[in-house]
Amino acid sequence: MIERLRTQLGDALESAEQVGDELRARIRPAALVAAARLCKENGFTYPCDITAVDTRTELTLVYRLQSLQTKQQVVLSVGVPRSGARVASLSRVYGAAGWLEREVYDLFGIRFEGHPDLRRILLTDDWEGHPLLK
Amino acid sequence: MQKHSVFTEHVTLNMGPQHPSTHGVLRLELDLEGEVVLECRPVIGYLHRGVEKIGEARTYPQFLPYTDRLDYLSSASNNGAYVQAVEKLLGLEVPERAKYLRVIALELNRIASHLIFLATFANDLAATTLFLYAVRERETVMDLFESWVGARLTQSTMRIGGVMADLPEGFIAKANAFCRLLPQRLNEYDRLFTRNRIFEVRTRGVGILPPEIALDYACSGPTVRGSGVSYDVRRAAPYEVYDRLDFDVVTFSSCDCLARYLVRVGELRQSVRILEQCLEQLPEGDYCAKTPRVLKPPAGEAYGRVESPRGEFGCYVVSDGGTNPLRVRLRAPSFFHMAVLPQMLKGWKIGDVVAILGSIDIVLGEIDR
Repeated sequence: MIERLRTQLGDALESAEQVGDELRARIRPAALVAAARLCKENGFTYPCDITAVDTRTELTLVYRLQSLQTKQQVVLSVGVPRSGARVASLSRVYGAAGWLEREVYDLFGIRFEGHPDLRRILLTDDWEGHPLLK
Repeated sequence: MQKHSVFTEHVTLNMGPQHPSTHGVLRLELDLEGEVVLECRPVIGYLHRGVEKIGEARTYPQFLPYTDRLDYLSSASNNGAYVQAVEKLLGLEVPERAKYLRVIALELNRIASHLIFLATFANDLAATTLFLYAVRERETVMDLFESWVGARLTQSTMRIGGVMADLPEGFIAKANAFCRLLPQRLNEYDRLFTRNRIFEVRTRGVGILPPEIALDYACSGPTVRGSGVSYDVRRAAPYEVYDRLDFDVVTFSSCDCLARYLVRVGELRQSVRILEQCLEQLPEGDYCAKTPRVLKPPAGEAYGRVESPRGEFGCYVVSDGGTNPLRVRLRAPSFFHMAVLPQMLKGWKIGDVVAILGSIDIVLGEIDR
């Protein structure tokens, strides 16, 4: 699978390593949709989780995709700026992305372009700020 | 005969956030044509307590009791995912006896949670009697935990490296007696409830969740096993001692409320099986590994996952080498089930909304965190 990612994404694949059951791959934001579609075509059809981490230097988006057949996971990580970040939405690739991306937007402020209904989900509509930022 | 023209319009109705059948503080905005649901927009966040943010301001051991309060009907499974992730970061080996004790806690919690499901599902469909019976059985489980760790519900049974304490005297005998009693009681409930005509009409064919949609929304647990998908974390990614225990993954393929109900009833019987094996095989040894007083897992990340009564409960922990986690992400199965609920409700009547919502067995504590 690492080879397929490398072939398809080329430079956009910044790093990849197998850790236990997880194939951890860091990719450039522009390659997100292509990488996700490639994973889905290769059996990683189960969108286990989408979240973000504030490392203080960047926001790392983490996409956890699972294959129910092989029981392996692909964990895609994408680095984006801590403010004003815009990334493509995966809502047209995975159904669960709809709500998951709303939560990341709510708590981190990352905007997902192409999302059909990007609004807060846990906090009230009039909340100011994105609390999971450091 | 005069024909009168009737003026109709769609109505948007609020169900919740205070409602006896929404299983917590949940609001469902329902667009209705008469009694029929056209659209549903769930509104969540009424129980959001900022637990993931709190995790960044607590040490690794300090955070553990917060996990109990997520899926509060099954506190051990929340513990289980969290300690699994932290132990992976630490490279910590858990003693054999501790692993068996954890499975005992996990399966007792599964039984308690599924009994609450039976109770509330029946109650929602106006069969109040089953509520009283199921809750009575559950009292024994609560007593067992109270004697073991001092709490009935938010038990904090687990610790990083094992469990909080060893079993008290009399626990094994009492647990075994419970294992003999519960299947008989389940037979009674089947006669009282499962084969009841009214129950069947309200659940058979109601609230279909096709497996392709269930998987696209990462559904898990009984919700997905009621749609024919045999996915169970205890088999897909075995943890503790599940790889040594005999049990069936209960699956039904009719995709309706009845299927999801039958999966949970089946799982109650399987949990009894697992419990009996654990009580019998329980080895001697420590109930917890020795850990340093100050825990500083090396920088890195780990994902711990367990099969909670609701599905795959995951805990993604990122460490920066300090005493507090950099990030604790709690992957709650009910969140995904809420996301797919609107599709399950389309075209059904308000009375069915209660049955369908009940059949996916959500807990707002884990959805909102």
